[in-house]
Amino acid sequence: MTALQNLLSTPTRRRIFTAAMALLALTLAYKLLYPIVFDAYVGKTNAQLTYESSKPLTNAQFEALAEDITRDARYRKAAAIVEADQDAFARKVKIEMLMGTDSVVRDAEPSHIKYFRDAGIRRYEGPETCLTCHARIKVDHPDGTTSTVNTLDDIVNSVHFKFQSDSGGFSTYGYDGRQVNSGPHKIPVGKIDRACGIPGSFTWTGWAALVEAEPEHAANGETQLRSEGCGQCHIGGNYQPATEKMMPIGDVPSEAKEGIDCLICHSTDYDMNQRVVIRDEHGLRWDQDRSLRAALTVGPIRSENCLRCHQHNMGGDAYQHNAAAQATGYKHQRILHRGAKRGNPFAPQDDVHAAAGLQCTDCHQPEGHKIPRGRKGVDLVANDLPDKEVSCESCHSRAPHNSSEHKALLNGHIERLACETCHIAELQPDNVVLRDWVHPTWNPEEGIWEPTDVYRSGAPGKGFTFLWFNGNGTFLANALGNNPMGSDAYNPLMQQIARIDNPDVIAAVRAKAEELKERYPDIDVDRYVEMATNPLSQLPPELLAKREAMIQANLRAAMNDGDSRLYPFKLFNAMMYEDMTNQGPFGAMILPFDYTTYYETGDTKAAVVKALQDPIVKRMYQEPFKLYMMDEFMAYFGITDGWKTIYPVVDDKLVNVEPHWMRQMGTLMINHGIQRQGRDCSDCHSPNGIMDFAMLGYTPERVAELQDIDVVERVAASDAGPGTTSKE
Amino acid sequence: MRRRVINKGDTQLGVTWAWGSRTIGTALLLLGSLHAGASAVQDASDNKSCLRCHQMATLAYRDPTSGEIVDLSVDPNALSHSTHGELACSDCHAADYEQYPHPDRLKDEALACVGCHEEQDDAQERRYRFETIDKEFKHSVHVTSDAPEAADFGCHSCHDPHAFRNSEVGEDIAQIVRDDNAICMSCHEELNDPYRDPHLWLPKREKHREAVRCLDCHTPVSESGQPVSHQILAGEDSNRDCVQCHSKAPQLLNRLYQYRSETDLANKGWLSKAVFNEAYVVGMSRSPLIDRAALAIIAITLLGLGAHGYGRYRAYRRSKEDQT
Repeated sequence: MTALQNLLSTPTRRRIFTAAMALLALTLAYKLLYPIVFDAYVGKTNAQLTYESSKPLTNAQFEALAEDITRDARYRKAAAIVEADQDAFARKVKIEMLMGTDSVVRDAEPSHIKYFRDAGIRRYEGPETCLTCHARIKVDHPDGTTSTVNTLDDIVNSVHFKFQSDSGGFSTYGYDGRQVNSGPHKIPVGKIDRACGIPGSFTWTGWAALVEAEPEHAANGETQLRSEGCGQCHIGGNYQPATEKMMPIGDVPSEAKEGIDCLICHSTDYDMNQRVVIRDEHGLRWDQDRSLRAALTVGPIRSENCLRCHQHNMGGDAYQHNAAAQATGYKHQRILHRGAKRGNPFAPQDDVHAAAGLQCTDCHQPEGHKIPRGRKGVDLVANDLPDKEVSCESCHSRAPHNSSEHKALLNGHIERLACETCHIAELQPDNVVLRDWVHPTWNPEEGIWEPTDVYRSGAPGKGFTFLWFNGNGTFLANALGNNPMGSDAYNPLMQQIARIDNPDVIAAVRAKAEELKERYPDIDVDRYVEMATNPLSQLPPELLAKREAMIQANLRAAMNDGDSRLYPFKLFNAMMYEDMTNQGPFGAMILPFDYTTYYETGDTKAAVVKALQDPIVKRMYQEPFKLYMMDEFMAYFGITDGWKTIYPVVDDKLVNVEPHWMRQMGTLMINHGIQRQGRDCSDCHSPNGIMDFAMLGYTPERVAELQDIDVVERVAASDAGPGTTSKE
Repeated sequence: MRRRVINKGDTQLGVTWAWGSRTIGTALLLLGSLHAGASAVQDASDNKSCLRCHQMATLAYRDPTSGEIVDLSVDPNALSHSTHGELACSDCHAADYEQYPHPDRLKDEALACVGCHEEQDDAQERRYRFETIDKEFKHSVHVTSDAPEAADFGCHSCHDPHAFRNSEVGEDIAQIVRDDNAICMSCHEELNDPYRDPHLWLPKREKHREAVRCLDCHTPVSESGQPVSHQILAGEDSNRDCVQCHSKAPQLLNRLYQYRSETDLANKGWLSKAVFNEAYVVGMSRSPLIDRAALAIIAITLLGLGAHGYGRYRAYRRSKEDQT
């Protein structure tokens, strides 16, 4: 008591004491109160997580598992030793003997078996187990230096976990002409807060869903639960993405960090069948493989590890060599997406680098848990290492062609053409180009309503096109660049990516529209085709004029920046419901769907209403969110007068919401699925080549020259000798 | 050292450039047809068909024997501004190059500078004749060296015939130095190695590199008014005497400053030249820091004198007021 009196004896001491107490109170409030308040504000849950596959083993079970894991490898090793041995039975006996010897076991055993055995670890409990030894890791930097970092912080602050980034260094430009996040007001941008027409939802509203499917082959009335949602690939969060990381203060609670799935990336024997949605008393979340088998087979990262998730966005779910798509779950099987996001697989069968045994990390060289995507990108997906190069040239030099007689001429093309332009002949045929979310189609086999893929193609000029690209992109994923001759003639946002001219595509869209009309009689086929193939027809004239002016005034500088080359870009457009209160010359805010409602009922409006009732979407339509990020978001989006917080649902009905196609197609870079054999000269250099040189901003004289096939004929003539077809 | 490869190669697309003693006088292919002015109009169209491919900045291939990338590109802009800008490609190169793929027999085409330039009408009157260049060059370390990197060294190793032009009075000295040294550095990569750079003895290496051409120290002193010799000296034979530059009459530096003196003269008039280059101590050290310090001392002295004078004046006024 006297101590306290002593402490408060003078006014100065009293002041210091008060300040210290205030500081303590603030710290406690931040640590304890803030997370609760934040969770309540965004309507999200965090709770202690348990996983069924995380089971303790006895010592005997552990040894049996170790033996099982190494059996194949031990057999191969032993068999190789006695390969030349006499009689079959004698060989069998010797192999059995050898398989049990210490040296063979040691060589065949993944290193973690010994580590776990010695440390007495008999159960895998998630990051906690990994961090026992790997609390800190060494990170290699490109300049040869190394640093040591806290492993958990490193992963938690990576894009793989956060799903967004507010760092500058994006090569993305808003339609207002500003480079995204280059100013003082930085907003989190990435997949976490962007609706997209390919998945049709936000990560907030589409994280984990259980869908009751009614497949036709099932017995009468029997339903199956199926898993769907963004969380199947993204390691961040468990009941929801790592929303806390979007805020200027606060951190992901430790329960959520304990949910990080280390093994999906680090284990060689991870069971993708465990990756399904489960329901517990707190809600829906994604299960994972926390078996000791997966933990014991941790090893250096190979392409197969990355492709568990990334083949989904490259080859696609329907790609026949997508291993993860063959293991959709023992229960609650994941719903596979039929239209491919890019249709350029990374697999030995379809990519020359995969066939050569290259691993993803050979080109995408990680620094700790940060993995570079290269300097060029249009899709605004957050980038952990925006300055780190990932390019063909870093291995292939600027003179990569060595075997053709015309190697110098082929190398000469590199000044203007990206390697991918010639060395990706086609995408997978299921590459989706036009997806209609508003008029779903019943899939009897799966027993669910699916968005209708109005057009899919992997052909040049149909599924993808060629655009000038200098590494910059717009806020809605449109490649920026310009013809190096420099002129305003090249204007893809008004031309190539804002309309479809190919008669084959138009005919296919019309056929699909007629098919849809049978189910949706309200469809006006002509108008439908017009909107899908000429999306600018949806803009009122004043917005169209504003659009043209904004492109000239705001984007030309970003287009003329640096050196542009021609790259292939996958094209994509989607019809979705849009909040017309927030419309600008480049589109309106697209609204997410609730997967369960959508897949089960096909009632698209109800699915939007349901998704909009998600608490965090409601917050999006309130003042704090407007000031924190939405106004800035809209400015980049080309809407000059800010975010309007008029909530588009009244009495469970949508208000001022209309179905539209995006005003221009998104363009996604394609860099995989590389073939050794490049294109032929005449693919481009002919009057009906795959490149529209006039549209690419060349003068009529230059177009004539580029289409002139005299050189091509001479080249072909010189190739005409026997057995001289190689062009690489 | 890495050998620099400029338009040099031995496949059907390459042009084998040759030089000096072995080929002078023997490689006078088509050199008689040099009538630049008359063919200027025709040149443009001639060159166009060549440049259709050769203007591709990445037109190159990797030499299968050496593994080096052989650059075949010609920058049309640099070409038209170069010494040879008025020539048609076919003035130097065989007309048969019009065919693509280029005929195999052309791959041994050899071109040399001296022969062509000595045949020109004004060759005798030139201040610095190509014959002289040739004589000097024969004693250059690039010729006398046995090092394998120097094996095929020729005029074109340094002077890209499609881009070369002389520096002119009035150009930014720093830029001249940068461009000149870039040519040397493109082979002498060891100079960028902080442990292997043979200039480790030299104080302020970076400053020297920015301000002085390699040639200024690595050629013998030539007579005043003469251009820099083409006899490049080996490191051990080169100037190591600071005073050659850092003195009142810097013999070596004068060659570089033939550009600057006249620039200065043109820009600042004779007074500043007289003050800074010849007569006065400030500027003689060629160290801006010392110059500034010296000027500061003068300024402080003047200020002191002024203050003193002002004080005296005030004292004078006061005594006068006291008297009245």
